[in-house]
Amino acid sequence: MHIPDAFIPLPQAAIYWIIALIFVILALRWARNELSEEKIPLIAVLAAGIFAIQAFNLPVGMGTSGHLVGGALAAIVLGSPFAAVFILTIVLIIQGVVFGDGGITTMGANIINMGVIGGFVGYYSYHGIKSAIKNDFIPAAIAAWLACFISAIACAIEMFIAGTFPLVPGIIAMGTYHAAIGIIEGVITAGAIYLIYTTRPDLMELGKGPAGSEA
Amino acid sequence: MTDTQKGEAKMNDMTFIAIGLVIALIIGVAAVFLASGDPDGLESTSLYVQGEKTLTSESPEDGDAEAIGTGTFEYESPFPDYSWEALGKLGDIIALVLGIVIVFVLIMGVSRLIKIKA
Repeated sequence: MHIPDAFIPLPQAAIYWIIALIFVILALRWARNELSEEKIPLIAVLAAGIFAIQAFNLPVGMGTSGHLVGGALAAIVLGSPFAAVFILTIVLIIQGVVFGDGGITTMGANIINMGVIGGFVGYYSYHGIKSAIKNDFIPAAIAAWLACFISAIACAIEMFIAGTFPLVPGIIAMGTYHAAIGIIEGVITAGAIYLIYTTRPDLMELGKGPAGSEA
Repeated sequence: MTDTQKGEAKMNDMTFIAIGLVIALIIGVAAVFLASGDPDGLESTSLYVQGEKTLTSESPEDGDAEAIGTGTFEYESPFPDYSWEALGKLGDIIALVLGIVIVFVLIMGVSRLIKIKA
């Protein structure tokens, strides 16, 4: 879902950058106030893992491949959508600047789609679904699928505003491909949460509901 | 649960970091050999709206997903497509390992810096 430079005209790209920067500043504030010292290794390892797995494209049929984005995973594990913004911003900077994956001018839009939308949709749908299904892993998988799917629809709308994709075919194709790619997102998110949960349950924020209330 | 039991049940930080990084490195190296070369969802959509593929057909080998773009900015990254072309597969592995290390170090560094400034 990494938007290349060519896909968004500069004035629009600048607007996405400004919106993204607001969330990046809020994410840095989250890290300063909420990220405890003992979680720094977790967030660093998680980010390294997310970077690695993003390079691992899996075929989903229809001549298309996809990979985990990891926004929902980061937000659920660290107990805040801003954790996703924090991790994805750094991952996207390295991907764009060092590896040419995702543009420089379009990095703001990519941070919004994968970090902000992915993180917020993943986090809040996880806690919403969890209140109906008393389990840690199924809600995580569904939330991760939703995070992938809704980010993709947002991306399709941005591509329409940019004049790059027509609206309806863009939404249909982005929706179809990411409905399939979202299955990868769901399975790996639930699997990774299970792994962290069994090795370091103390690092997880699974029980913590929105705004720090105990779920 | 007492503190000792907790201590036994959980893995210590160094082991957790080491295992986590090894998993990331294994995934990264495996990606060099096993990752699908098919276009991603956004690129496939681009090929679809350009009429180069149908919704469910295979993607054309020589399809140019970025041909549709209207943006004018261009940037040449040091390791495009996660590869170091001169070195072949070894270069790809080096590029990915480098990326994993940079991300890890950057997050550690930025987090600690923010904490010190707080």
